[in-house]
Amino acid sequence: MVRLYIGLCVAVTAAAPAMAKPIAFADGTTVMAEYGAGTMQELQVFYAPRFDYSVGGGHVDFTSDEDEHREHISYLRLNWLAHRWNLDDAQANVFVWGGAGSATGNWFEGTRLTGNAGLQLDYETRRVYASLKSDLQRSSEFSDRIDTLQLGLAPYKHDYGGIATWFVFQARHYTGELHSGIETAALLRLFKGGAWIEAGVTNAGKVQAMAMFNF
Amino acid sequence: MKRFQILLAMTLLAVAAGSTAATIEMTVNGLVCAFCAQGIEKKLKKFPATAEVIVNLEHRLVAVALRDGQDIPDADLRRALTDAGYTVKSISRSETPIADVRERLKQVQP
Repeated sequence: MVRLYIGLCVAVTAAAPAMAKPIAFADGTTVMAEYGAGTMQELQVFYAPRFDYSVGGGHVDFTSDEDEHREHISYLRLNWLAHRWNLDDAQANVFVWGGAGSATGNWFEGTRLTGNAGLQLDYETRRVYASLKSDLQRSSEFSDRIDTLQLGLAPYKHDYGGIATWFVFQARHYTGELHSGIETAALLRLFKGGAWIEAGVTNAGKVQAMAMFNF
Repeated sequence: MKRFQILLAMTLLAVAAGSTAATIEMTVNGLVCAFCAQGIEKKLKKFPATAEVIVNLEHRLVAVALRDGQDIPDADLRRALTDAGYTVKSISRSETPIADVRERLKQVQP
């Protein structure tokens, strides 16, 4: 079964698709919701006055699958497109972000001030996609970082107005004793216009899902 | 009678001129996803001179149909695309109706 799963992951990793970006387009609003296999659930809303930055906030819940400790973090954030390469048939981006918020948890009293920082590198054509993202939430009580690698392959080249389909392989590493080892997932991603949904299953058999809307 | 013929000729000329609105075609780098297209479309539709926008990822093409008698300077188009996060490689203008551009793109789809 494990071999079958690894084989499936390798098969869908042959190339990569479009990943969620914290900035969709100038004068655009982005709403994202992610269910991360029971370990992480997050909701984010951003508005981009320009193509190279957006402001907004979010809420994330972490649940350790090692010892059941939980954290709930609400935050405000600034996302910045540090650099973009517009190539003939591809695009590559470097995003960075930072913010602050407050957290509660089931293993400490009261609330704690949190800091948030992250980085995303991505490369995308109409057939392949690759991205690497690192997102840190830190307070005096905890330091939770999620590193995510996504590789995707589109079975066909979509065009504007049509449905885009991507097969995505995801590998994720958590710190903060949220999850031990590397969690992998095979995902199916579909988007059309400003709507995007993806869903799949992790190597532990848990559901991984995400939805994003840009308008 | 002669006056009527002149009036008729002028009317026909005006109708003919109005029916061939200009189209601007731009080749754009970095066009790889629907979100790119969505942002560009939104930006270009803000120009009062814009009647319609077509974004085609396959040909990296952005086409703008202009309203009769109106235009958008190249500098403004370049700025709009740059502000949307993309790079304009070329701009060309023609009297080709936008419907013909759409049809041409359909015919050369892979």
